[in-house]
Amino acid sequence: MTEEATKTRNRKKDKIPKVPNPDGIWTKEVRAEINHKAVTGQHRIRGMGVNMRYPNFDDLLVLPAQLSRLSVDTYREPCVTKTVLGTRFAKKPLEIETPIMISGMSYGALGKEAKTALAKATQIVGTSINNGEGGLLPEERDNSYKQVVQILPSRFGFSLETIEAADALEIICGIGAKPGLTGHLLGSKITEEIAEMRQIPAGLDLYSHPRHGDIFGPDDMVLKIQELRDITNYEIPIFLKIAAGRVTEDVKIAVKTGADGVVIDGCQGGTGAAPVVALKHLGIPTLPALVQATKALEDMGVKDEFSLIVSGGIKDGADVAKAMALGADAVAIGTGANIALGCTTCHQCHEGICGSGICTQEPQYRELLKCDAAERVANYITAMTNEAVILAKAAGKTRLSNLEREDIRSITLEACAMTGIPLVGTNYTFTERFGFC
Amino acid sequence: MEHLDITGKSIGETNRALRNLIADHDQVIIDNPHSSHNLGTALKGNGKVTINGSTGYFTGGFLAGPTLDILGNTGWYTGDNMSAGEIIISKNTGSNCGPSMMGGTILVRGNSGSRVGFAMKGGNLIVCGDVGRWAGYMTLGGRIIVLGEMGPVIGESMYRGIIHTADPAVEKKLGNNVSVIPISDAEKKEVSALFEKYQIDHPVNSLKSVIPLKTGRTKYTIFNPTHKVRSKND
Ligand SMILES: Cc1cc2nc3c(=O)[nH]c(=O)nc-3n(C[C@H](O)[C@H](O)[C@H](O)COP(=O)(O)O)c2cc1C
Repeated sequence: MTEEATKTRNRKKDKIPKVPNPDGIWTKEVRAEINHKAVTGQHRIRGMGVNMRYPNFDDLLVLPAQLSRLSVDTYREPCVTKTVLGTRFAKKPLEIETPIMISGMSYGALGKEAKTALAKATQIVGTSINNGEGGLLPEERDNSYKQVVQILPSRFGFSLETIEAADALEIICGIGAKPGLTGHLLGSKITEEIAEMRQIPAGLDLYSHPRHGDIFGPDDMVLKIQELRDITNYEIPIFLKIAAGRVTEDVKIAVKTGADGVVIDGCQGGTGAAPVVALKHLGIPTLPALVQATKALEDMGVKDEFSLIVSGGIKDGADVAKAMALGADAVAIGTGANIALGCTTCHQCHEGICGSGICTQEPQYRELLKCDAAERVANYITAMTNEAVILAKAAGKTRLSNLEREDIRSITLEACAMTGIPLVGTNYTFTERFGFC
Repeated sequence: MEHLDITGKSIGETNRALRNLIADHDQVIIDNPHSSHNLGTALKGNGKVTINGSTGYFTGGFLAGPTLDILGNTGWYTGDNMSAGEIIISKNTGSNCGPSMMGGTILVRGNSGSRVGFAMKGGNLIVCGDVGRWAGYMTLGGRIIVLGEMGPVIGESMYRGIIHTADPAVEKKLGNNVSVIPISDAEKKEVSALFEKYQIDHPVNSLKSVIPLKTGRTKYTIFNPTHKVRSKND
C-alpha cells in the first residue's frame, strides 16, 4: 500500500463514528466464518455437537415433596434405578442397572483404547455400550456389560456374527448432529486396521450413502425387523435411532414397523465430524423432541410397552431425572462420556489428532488416554445416577421411572410453551396444542 | 430329502423348521412358498433347499452356507447381507438384489431390477438377463456379471470389486469413478469356471470389465455452477 493510501485509510478509521453494539449480526465469530469460507470456498466441518443454547432440560425444575407428598430418605430408603428396555416383543429385554447408556460412537472416530475404556466402564456400572459405525471391536465386546450393535446404511464391518454378539440391535435412520447427511471418511484416517475391520479399502476417501441398501421405505423396515427378529430368535430388542425432526410422525411409523423402541437423538447430539451448518440448523432440540415422542406414543396407546430413549446434550443427573419425568425410559450419552474420558472439547475430533487420546487412531496420541479412563466414565455415570436419584427421592419417588410430568415446572416461557409443563409459580400453561396440553 | 409345506405357517415357524431340517438333511424342498417374505433367513450348513415357487422380499437374507434353489421369482433384497452359500433364482428378481452381500453366489437366470449389488462387499452376483439402473452402486468388493442389457449409471462410486458386462453400450452408461477395460485372462478363467459350474452358455470374450478408479476420483462438490461466464462482448 502506498503511504498516501495508508494515510487515507487511517484518516477514515478515525472518522468512523462510534456506534453502540458495532458488531450487530457481524460478530467476531460470524466474521471468522465468513473469512474461512472466503479463503477456502468450503463450509466448515468440525466434531462434537452444536454450541448454541437451545431450550433444554435446565429450563425445567423438579418440585420437591413437602406436605402434599412425602419425600423419600436420600440415604436409607431405596429408589430403583434398574431399567428394562425392549419389553414390547423381545424375549430377553435389555436390563441395565442405571437408565444411562453409552451412545454409539464408532471405532474409527474413537481409538481402540477409548472404546475399550468405555466398554469397561459399562461393566463397572452395569449399563450398555453401543458399537457405532464400523464393526464391533473385539476388545469392546469382551469388556462390555451389555452390547448394543448398530445397523447402519454403510454396513461397514457388519455381519451375522456381530448380530449374534448383540444384546440389542439399533437400526440407524439418523443422528441428531447431522441427520440425513452422507458420511465422508477421509482416506488419511482409514488405517490398515480400520480398513480391515470396516471391509473397506485403505487410503481412499469414502463418501457413504445415507440410505440402507435393504430398507428403501417404512414398509421394508417392517420386513427387515421381522428378518432380524427371526435371526435373533425373537430374543433381543430392536430399536430404531431417529434424529429429532418430524418426531410425531417418525415415532408413530417406528411403532408400526414393529420395533421395540426408539432412540430420539436431539439436534444437540455430538458427532465425530459434521458440517457446522447441519449442527446448527438441522433438526430440533432434545427437549421438545422428547415431548413430541412421548405424546405420539400416548396417542397410540403404546407408551408403556414401547421404549423411549433420548440423547443429545445429556450432561448430568438432573437432565436424566427431567427426561424421565417427560417420558423417557432411558438416556444415552456420547460427549459427556468422552469428557469423562478426558476430552477437552476442542471440537477437532474430525482431525484425528486428539490430544486426549480419544478421537484418534495414531498410536502416539492414543497413548495419551488417561490410564484411569474407564473408572472416570464409571464414576461419572455413578454420580449422574446419584443426582437423578436425589431429585427423584426429593420428589417422593421410590423408582426413577416414577418421575412424571406433574413433578416438574418450566422456568422459561419457551420451555413452558414447548413442553406444556406449567410455568413456575403459576400452575398454568399455554393453551391447547402446546406441548402436552 | 425332506418336504416342508409352509401353507398356514408363520415365517418364524417356517425358518425355524427349515433350520432344523437343513441341519439333518442334505436336501429340503419347500412347497407352497406363497411369495413369502424373509424365507430362508440366516441358514447355516451345507445342505440344499429347493423352493417350489416364487418368494417375496428378503429371500435368503444373511445366508451363511446352504444352497437356495428358487424355482420362480424373488422379490426385492434377495440375499441381503449373505456371507456364504448360493441363491439360484430360475426366473427374475425385484430390485436391490444382493445388497451388502459379503460372500457366496447369487445367480439370477432371468432379469433383475435396479441397484443389483448395492454396496456389495464380496461374492459373485450373476444375472443372465437384463438389469435396471445403478448396478454395482458403491460396491466395496465382489464380482457382478451381467449378460444382458444394463440400465444407466453403472458402478457409481465403486470402491473395490468388478463388474463384467456383455452390454455393448456399457461405456455410455457409466457412473462416476469407474472405467471400462477389457476382461483379463485371469478373469476370463474365473468367469469361465463360474459359467461351467452353473451351466451358463455365454462367450466370456464378449465381456468387458468395469472397475473402480484408483486415482482421479471425483472430488464431490455440492454447488456446481454450469453457466458460461459472460464475456465483455456478449
Ligand atoms: C465421537 C462421536 C462419534 C459418534 N459416532 C456415531 C456412530 O458411529 N453412530 C451413531 O449412530 N452415532 C454416533 N455418534 C452420535 C452418538 O451416538 C449420540 O447420538 C450423540 O453423541 C448423543 O449426543 P451427546 O454427544 O450430546 O451425548 C457419535 C458421537 C460422537 C461424539
